[in-house]
Amino acid sequence: MPMALLLDNLGFFLTGLEFTIRLALLTLVCAIGVSLLIGLMSVSQWRALRIAALCYVEFWRDIPLLVNLLFIYFGAPLVGVPLKPFTAALLSLTLWGGANGAEIVRGGINAIGRHQFVSATALGLKRWQIYRYVVLPQALMPILPPMTGLCTTLVQATSLASLLGVNEFFRIAQIVVERTTMQSGHSPAFLIYGFALLVYFAICSALTWLSRYFEQRLQKTGHSAIAAPRGFKESA
Amino acid sequence: MQSSQTPLIEAQNLVKAFGRTRALDDVSCAISTGERLVVIGPSGSGKSTLIRCLNGLVKPDAGKITFDGQRVEPTSEGHWRRLRQRVGMVFQDYTLFPHLTAIENITLAPVRAGLMPKPQAELAARRLLERVQLAEKATSYPAFLSGGQQQRVAIARALAMRPQVLLFDEPTSALDPEMIKEVLDLMVSLARDGMTMIVVTHEMGFAHAVADRVLFMEAGRIVEAGPPDQIFGNQNDVRTREFVRRIA
Repeated sequence: MPMALLLDNLGFFLTGLEFTIRLALLTLVCAIGVSLLIGLMSVSQWRALRIAALCYVEFWRDIPLLVNLLFIYFGAPLVGVPLKPFTAALLSLTLWGGANGAEIVRGGINAIGRHQFVSATALGLKRWQIYRYVVLPQALMPILPPMTGLCTTLVQATSLASLLGVNEFFRIAQIVVERTTMQSGHSPAFLIYGFALLVYFAICSALTWLSRYFEQRLQKTGHSAIAAPRGFKESA
Repeated sequence: MQSSQTPLIEAQNLVKAFGRTRALDDVSCAISTGERLVVIGPSGSGKSTLIRCLNGLVKPDAGKITFDGQRVEPTSEGHWRRLRQRVGMVFQDYTLFPHLTAIENITLAPVRAGLMPKPQAELAARRLLERVQLAEKATSYPAFLSGGQQQRVAIARALAMRPQVLLFDEPTSALDPEMIKEVLDLMVSLARDGMTMIVVTHEMGFAHAVADRVLFMEAGRIVEAGPPDQIFGNQNDVRTREFVRRIA
């Protein structure tokens, strides 16, 4: 009976799920942190910081995540820092996620018209104050949807950690399929992977639902409205 | 209407080029406390560039700017930042901060610049909103205000820093005609209260009524300067006469 198979292995699945959720949460926190840092660096007034951010983004963005993962796990011991599989997965997801997230942050900041910055400057505010109180709060609106997309990708990408032997949810599903196939002779692959699909779907749906909730709250306060007049023209 | 003798802001021999265009070509002007200066001229004449040099938003390529007798180092952003608390600016497109209510727009700078604590700033902001006749819109977001209302909030926001002088960069040019009057009336009333102001505008009626002195600019140079009666009635320069006739 298919349900029996799921119930028999429920405890097993839950330990895998715990790993997945732990890895996903840590990855999201770290990746968002890196995105903010690198994103702000890429709009800095100091050229050196902008170039450093650009190099970081271009490097980590242009490598496939899978290669990235293996590169870090097998490369780390060579520079004298052996990493546990979980840590290697966290690091590579963070570096990759941070690079993509930084571009989203940069795009969001640039979407806020220069006039906002000029207007705040004219009031005598310092540069960091302008970012903190004027630009970044407004940048939340253009950043939120693509950042949510990146977050769901990262949650799904935690399944790659299975390649390093981390016993996260997908790996558990794999083990259950293999074990049952060997023991009973027929493969419950469709059932088990279907179950795994539903679980990932549930987690990612929760994320996107949360994101839409915040989007609606932001819209209510006029975050998405740009109060510019029609027929505005620049004069010398 | 008193004017003191020492200029509040003095600009000498300003030059500013954007690419190959000379927006300012050896421009000098000064304003004294209590004086109302209006700058007129065709598009591209350098009017906007000039007033943006007076609060450091544009840094001139050459020339000297003194504020209250003290020379301002052209590249010193820190010095300009402190000066900007004494020089308010109102823009053509008002650029209120859309994520803040009217009253939050007004209190942001005074509180963050350390001018006054939040409760005091809110009290002052409410008084300013009354002054611009928008007391009931304190908690409204800019998206729900008309253009004229937004511009009046923008003026209140600039006044909140208690500036010594207000710069206006074509404050009514982007407004629908029926809203221009409410903003001009406010500016006239500010002038009557003794506010020192430099106004770049196309509104000749306003200029005639309020200005102590009018500058006519063309192609990056001040062509003629004088009292309104001279600039609008008895021009010394033919270019001034032609411009005034064209827009009259």
